Amino acid sequence: MGERATSHAVTVEVNGEKVSRIVAARQLLVHFLRDTLGLTGTHIGCDTGNCGACSVIVNGKLVKSCMILAAQTDGATIETVEGLAQDGTLSPLQESFHEHHALQCGYCTPGMLMSATYLLRHNPEPTDEEIRRGIRGNICRCTGYVNIVKAIRAVSRRQATGGHAVTAAAGEEV
Amino acid sequence: MLLEQVEYVRPQSLDEALEILANDDGAAPLAGGQSLTNVLKNRVASVDVLVDISALGDLAGITRTADGGLSIGACVTYDELDRSAEVRQSHWMLGEVAAHIEDQQIRNKGTIGGNCCLSDPTNNLPPILVALDAVMELRSRSGRRSVEAADFFKGYFATALEPGELLVSITVPQMPERSGAGYASLAVGADAKAMVRAAARVTLDRDHATIVDSRVVLARVAHVPTRDAEAEARLNGADATDDAVRAACAGVADGMQPITDVHGSSEYRRQMAKVMARRAVDQAIAAARGGRNGSSAGGN
Ligand SMILES: Cc1cc2nc3c(=O)[nH]c(=O)nc-3n(C[C@H](O)[C@H](O)[C@H](O)COP(=O)(O)OP(=O)(O)OC[C@H]3O[C@@H](n4cnc5c(N)ncnc54)[C@H](O)[C@@H]3O)c2cc1C
Ligand code: FES
Ligand code: FES
Repeated sequence: MGERATSHAVTVEVNGEKVSRIVAARQLLVHFLRDTLGLTGTHIGCDTGNCGACSVIVNGKLVKSCMILAAQTDGATIETVEGLAQDGTLSPLQESFHEHHALQCGYCTPGMLMSATYLLRHNPEPTDEEIRRGIRGNICRCTGYVNIVKAIRAVSRRQATGGHAVTAAAGEEV
Repeated sequence: MLLEQVEYVRPQSLDEALEILANDDGAAPLAGGQSLTNVLKNRVASVDVLVDISALGDLAGITRTADGGLSIGACVTYDELDRSAEVRQSHWMLGEVAAHIEDQQIRNKGTIGGNCCLSDPTNNLPPILVALDAVMELRSRSGRRSVEAADFFKGYFATALEPGELLVSITVPQMPERSGAGYASLAVGADAKAMVRAAARVTLDRDHATIVDSRVVLARVAHVPTRDAEAEARLNGADATDDAVRAACAGVADGMQPITDVHGSSEYRRQMAKVMARRAVDQAIAAARGGRNGSSAGGN
């Protein structure tokens, strides 16, 4: 990628699958995912970096895909909402959103799930306050957030151990 | 949204980036892209080529300088500042300010260099950098120079950067002994854009009783982060007590003309500037006493 140009060859791994495409320099990652690869789970709400509906994980970092160019992701590993379920089985977080009625229209849900996935990877035992901060960049117009927080709490390790932080005495790593 | 036609390049070295920037008036550095992408969407600036500096080694990383300060690469992200043990150890408040910028997605991409080079008056980092006496290290094809943070911000979206120049790193000197920093914002919502901010730094005497040196920096009161030299003069030599700080901050922002907008009038902002300055100085004093360089209180 040394040469300046209006289009670039890009190879990325999306949800475990390698794909190579020629992308226009002006193409946003969200359009690459939706229009070029047909992965329409990633939504566009605002297109200004405010709503978080387009959140995906690039090289382990949660980002808003309307705020980066596809050309910037050459060589990257990308995770989208389509990669959460394995062999038709929902991830525990997806299952929990379903159980806790954490969505109504569902428009924000892909972004919420990616933010919550990122949060729990980095902080498996978040407090409610940390959960709220973790989804700060994701706007939901329907639910009022309460059930979303509940759904995330339910799959955190804190909840799984009866509301207490896991202790070494309980036989698990802290 | 479809952007205007633009070229993209990811230079392999700082020299290559500086060469492209020197040769093309329409070249723009792309750091975290958390502002520039929106600028391109809105088509308020016309860019020929985006020069992706985000992966350049010369602009990455946080290192301890020989005299105990920090050298922070321009492309260090807010998340990296927040999580840096070096930053937290010597300049706790800088990490804390970064931790409260907007949201996790923006903190994972936005850079300290971009936050300064944009010179948006609502951006969080410029006032604290001015309060910490930071120095901006600039490079161009023809050389390098250092500009104090207080002189770097020139106006709305305007800085001391010349065409073809890049901000490469920011040097934050070690804080004197018995110093602390504070930061207080009147925000429209938690972690949201602020209507008025103040950043402060104080150094106390041996007994922790008297203020011997201070910085009081106001943001969103003028177009750029502005030191209130009169308030600093009143604080220097004053007792480090609530009453003395309150008295010293009573005249903060007098004579300044903050904007009036949907969130508040000019007069309201001027009054709130006094309150934010007092809170920031109180935090700084508590931090100096606690010996943790600004760790007494959080806050956006
Ligand atoms: C929804 C939303 C809310 C936000 N809220 C806040 C907020 O509350 N507080 C806050 O502080 N920020 C906020 N931001 C802005 C964000 O912090 C940006 O990250 C920041 O303004 C620019 O940093 P960047 O690294 O993303 O730079 P870019 O967008 O890549 O660049 C910004 C500008 O600086 C230039 N530039 C970048 N790096 C350099 C360099 N090293 N040398 C020379 N020029 C350079 C670019 O050419 C461009 O003109 C928000 C952004 C969004 C999308
Ligand atoms: S569509 Fe990207 S943040 Fe709203
Ligand atoms: S469920 Fe409708 S926006 Fe969140």
